[in-house]
Amino acid sequence: MTTDAIPEQAQGKTEPQVDAVDMVVGILAELDAKDLAGICDSLRTLPDSLRIAVLHEDPAAKSGETLQKTEPTKGASVFFMPSLLAKSDPGSEPVSNFSARYQSVLAAGEKLQAQACYVIASKLMPASPGWLGQFTQPLLEHNFDLVVPHYARHKFDGLLNSSILSPLTRCLYGKRINNPIGPDIGVSQRLFQKVRSRAKNAGSGPGAHPAMLVAPTALTENMQVCEVNVGARVYPPPDWANISSVLSQILSPIFIDMERNAAFWQRVRGSVSIPCSGDSVDIGDDTNATVDIQQMVEKFQLANRDLREIWGIVLPPATMFELGKLARLPPDRFAMPDELWVRIVFDFALAHRLRTISLDHLLGSMTPLYLAWLASYAREVQAASAWAADRRLEKLALAYEAGKPYLVSRWRWPDRFNP
Amino acid sequence: MWGQVKEALAQATAHFLMRFASLLPGLVALILAILVSFVVAWILVALVQRVLTGMHFDEHLVRWGFPAPAESAHPNPVALLVARAIGLLVILAGFLIGLAAFDSEWMSLFARRTLEYIPNLLGALVILLVGSVSARFLARSVLIGAVNMNLQYARLLSVGVKCLVIVLAVAMALEDLRIARSIVELAFGILFGGIVLTLALAVGLGSKDLVSKSLDRDAKKVSRETIEDPLRHL
Repeated sequence: MTTDAIPEQAQGKTEPQVDAVDMVVGILAELDAKDLAGICDSLRTLPDSLRIAVLHEDPAAKSGETLQKTEPTKGASVFFMPSLLAKSDPGSEPVSNFSARYQSVLAAGEKLQAQACYVIASKLMPASPGWLGQFTQPLLEHNFDLVVPHYARHKFDGLLNSSILSPLTRCLYGKRINNPIGPDIGVSQRLFQKVRSRAKNAGSGPGAHPAMLVAPTALTENMQVCEVNVGARVYPPPDWANISSVLSQILSPIFIDMERNAAFWQRVRGSVSIPCSGDSVDIGDDTNATVDIQQMVEKFQLANRDLREIWGIVLPPATMFELGKLARLPPDRFAMPDELWVRIVFDFALAHRLRTISLDHLLGSMTPLYLAWLASYAREVQAASAWAADRRLEKLALAYEAGKPYLVSRWRWPDRFNP
Repeated sequence: MWGQVKEALAQATAHFLMRFASLLPGLVALILAILVSFVVAWILVALVQRVLTGMHFDEHLVRWGFPAPAESAHPNPVALLVARAIGLLVILAGFLIGLAAFDSEWMSLFARRTLEYIPNLLGALVILLVGSVSARFLARSVLIGAVNMNLQYARLLSVGVKCLVIVLAVAMALEDLRIARSIVELAFGILFGGIVLTLALAVGLGSKDLVSKSLDRDAKKVSRETIEDPLRHL
């Protein structure tokens, strides 16, 4: 592994004065010098003619590491422009902080008239240096507008994505995207200009979150979308104390986008796969992983006792009845039917649109329901293989598609259609 | 003798008729004021009701945390109630204006005092309304936050917060109405302190088993977390 890929700007020297580049790569993940060098090496394997601006907080300034520099090799010209990347603000909410930095990458792409923008927000395992080359190929060579990763995953990874984001995007827009909000993502100039314009129109509210806007914008504008198989993401450990806040910050922009694109998704039926390149990465099964189901069930039972009055404003009586039955089940038999979970998500999306109650209250009261789904899923797949867990999630995605007529009816006639 | 009686009767009748005649303009003014206030009230009721219905006032109230009104023949009972209350206030104001038209010192004094009191009354009503909305909103926030923190006494905390805010609002409203100020101050101090003490006792002493169970669970959770939680959300 050489470190010649670390350009001298990264060592604290001045930034080059550049007006235009071919590609902007924003690195939001916390990478060490070795990983960063790996990414730069990958970028330098791209064609010679490419000029690539890498946006990354100056690693030397941040960690005090000294990067050795050797003679540059042949390949694309890679240079660092850290000043264009919004500074990480440890004091702000993680999602807002991420959103601001994500936005700055797209803004840099627009400013430098780049043909494509990439956001690298994860560290992958196993660390395969070639993945970035594969990730850039669809945009540079095949004229795709959006490239999203298909991470190899353990059965308990990315559960908010698996339970809501991915199946909801699939059912709404008819395309089976496994990770619609990335966070690693590649967008064409055409797409990031649209996303920037939509984000500007959305103002400073939660609807302006660019990561949430990318996939729906591409799909509603009939742009070309593809996936690339990559390794597993290294996830941060779960922050149970702030799970409610994370849920709220992620779901609010998704629900706002549903409102914005209602005319589009009401016409979509069924779903189709999208092109996927690269070989799937085998990361093995984690059959020994144990989850504390009891605690999640207890939280749901407590909420069922105390929050029924609030849920009753959002959910129809039939769903309330089902939740009451569910709360009486012991942890070892706790199972939330997919249809019930799907209707809950749809009803909360509708309540978000109708502003039935304060949005903070609405999304806060959804947390125990998410925990109930989590407990039910964990109990079901605890002893299962990763393949079986994937089948389980596919079944859930199909339940979302089957439940779409319910969503459309509720959305069109919220007062009249109340089962 | 009979002549004197006749004279006294004639004088009394003349006196009564004179007094009555002097009251007539005031009476007519009162009737006129009431009639005009009825017309103004009727127009206002229709206007306010239409505006409130248009802005879905009843639904907004439910969103702000008020309980939904019981089954009613009218589709927007709260909007109707508010509109009628405003209408009633207008009629009352018309009546007081009419009373002031009487050329009687105590009548006009009564009317002036009552009219002077109306801003206090409206202020108190606004304080009560804002207090009630805030109490319900805060109670709901506390309830959801406490449930998400898995606190068994979430509802108790929520009710406690609601009571505190409502007591504060009522005390402020009574202060604004200038009713028994010293008693209100004393009662407010006792009630507010009482609620805080009750909450502290209920949470601290009454739920000591729950707290120890919760701490025990937290300790177990910490030891579990050191093993590793396999769940990853995003």
